[in-house]
Amino acid sequence: MSGSLVQHALLLSVALFTLGALGVFMRRNVITIFMCIELMLNAVNLAFVAFSRSLGTFDGQVLVFFVMTVAAAEAAVGLAIVIALHRHRDTLDIDSFNLLKW
Amino acid sequence: MDALLESLARTVPEAIVCLGLLLVVVLDSAGGAARRAIGPISVLSLLLALVALSRETGAPVASWSGMIASDPLSALLRALILLGTLLVLLSFDLGRSRELKGLGLGEFHALLLAVAFACLLLASANDLVMVYLALEMVSIPSYVLVAYLKRDPRSNEAALKYLLFGAASSGTMLYGLSLVYGIAGTTSIAGVSAAMAGSLPAGSSFGLWLAALLVFAGFGFKVAAVPFHFWCPDAYEGAPTPVAAFLSVVPKTAGFAVMMRFCFEALSLQRGGALALVEIVDWPQLLMWISVATMTLGNVAALTQTNMKRLLAYSSIAHAGYVMMGVVAMSEDGGRGVLVYLFTYVLMNLGAFGVVAAIHASEGSFDLRDYAGLHRRSPLLALAMATFLLSLMGLPPFVGFFGKLYVFGAIIARGPEFYWYAGVGAVNAAVAAFYYFRVMRAMVIDPETGTAPALSLGGREALALCALAALNVLPTLAWGRVDEWTRAAMVLLPR
Repeated sequence: MSGSLVQHALLLSVALFTLGALGVFMRRNVITIFMCIELMLNAVNLAFVAFSRSLGTFDGQVLVFFVMTVAAAEAAVGLAIVIALHRHRDTLDIDSFNLLKW
Repeated sequence: MDALLESLARTVPEAIVCLGLLLVVVLDSAGGAARRAIGPISVLSLLLALVALSRETGAPVASWSGMIASDPLSALLRALILLGTLLVLLSFDLGRSRELKGLGLGEFHALLLAVAFACLLLASANDLVMVYLALEMVSIPSYVLVAYLKRDPRSNEAALKYLLFGAASSGTMLYGLSLVYGIAGTTSIAGVSAAMAGSLPAGSSFGLWLAALLVFAGFGFKVAAVPFHFWCPDAYEGAPTPVAAFLSVVPKTAGFAVMMRFCFEALSLQRGGALALVEIVDWPQLLMWISVATMTLGNVAALTQTNMKRLLAYSSIAHAGYVMMGVVAMSEDGGRGVLVYLFTYVLMNLGAFGVVAAIHASEGSFDLRDYAGLHRRSPLLALAMATFLLSLMGLPPFVGFFGKLYVFGAIIARGPEFYWYAGVGAVNAAVAAFYYFRVMRAMVIDPETGTAPALSLGGREALALCALAALNVLPTLAWGRVDEWTRAAMVLLPR
């Protein structure tokens, strides 16, 4: 029973991670890309919790707390940079940030 | 309590840097005359940390409940990180920089020390939790440093690209770490290594392959390896020059430190003083292809650059490819090659960025075309730049030669099936010589447009560049000592 539960959780985490990664590459709005990255991180959290349950150790669950904290810090810095960019330009389209090129 | 004090005794350098960082923040918020002490305090804390590190004694041990490895390898890598940060603070005259004009320098020092502190932790991380936390602790202040020129849209854009790539690749790495945890059942690197030596459940081969691939995404981002390098030229171009110089050496050293520990300790078996491959995942093969792609793409892209910061960015990508040769060699000699290369790279790359910053301070340009006639306008700068470029090229008697000698030697020692890999490296070194010579030609041969006046060079910059140029030659005279240090740091214990 518990074995198949873990398997389902892992499958869901793979699906979420793939969706997040695809979103990072295909979405054009910076905020949406951030949300896709959060989706990737939450997929990772799910995988850690699932592995932790199947292994019967708590290491994975502790790591999840660290991941959530770091993700919050990263989002704070990321949104600050987005605000700084928005002051120069009235758009959040990733393709319009093209001052730096090959 | 005893364990805590013992652990603290093994991480004195980290504690000193952390105290220095807090002091800088307090002094900066105090304002007024206190702010003048920020620079000296930062330098002093790094110097004290280096002294504390050199006095560190005791057997290799995992401190802080197994989170931090205190061993000779981490000691040497931490020394390199402290040295790199110290040289950045000493050799760039931040007050004269055109880019940083009007921006507070207190936060700049605080962020720089924060990244250095995190790099120290990353270099001695001994647990997957610590690997992730330290990697993010390096990344987040780095994003802010790249965005430091807040009124410059290029700096903001560079930081955004850096952040998006960083966040995505650290998430990818984390997925790999979760697979490693699921397969090995533990997050400690020693535990992972023990699990690899034992019998793993059937079907974990694919999982480990995937895990290695995903984890290398995170490490590859930190050292700017292809295909995780896209942020690198943009971030270097947009960031203030001292930040670009700092990012190109210090976090890269820490990235290679964690890559070496993960590859040599978690993914290899130590048998009788040599490294043996874990049967189920052939990671050197994977890393070799990344390395070949990294050096080739870095060098080819550098050929057509006219912006000096972008040129040095692509050159630093290519150098990461050479350093990886040492990891692929998977031997004591290979590890030693990585250490020697990173040491020489700190000296030559900081020097090159120092010249670029000095020219920008007086000319306001990063364009290679504005370097014409430099030998007349400032013979000292031209001579220093030539030294750094020849060292980057890997020509004797400059130190850069030794880095290449060690990694190529380690690869050739692995046997005939790796000869082609060394050949690719050699061809790449020749391609690299082409664009380094192009910079020299611009300085000496290219015709000047009009007669620009002589460059004004600050006394501190001149002194720092002369010292760095000397450091690119002098270690050659006492190479036995350097060799001895790396030999002591890279020891595989017979088990």
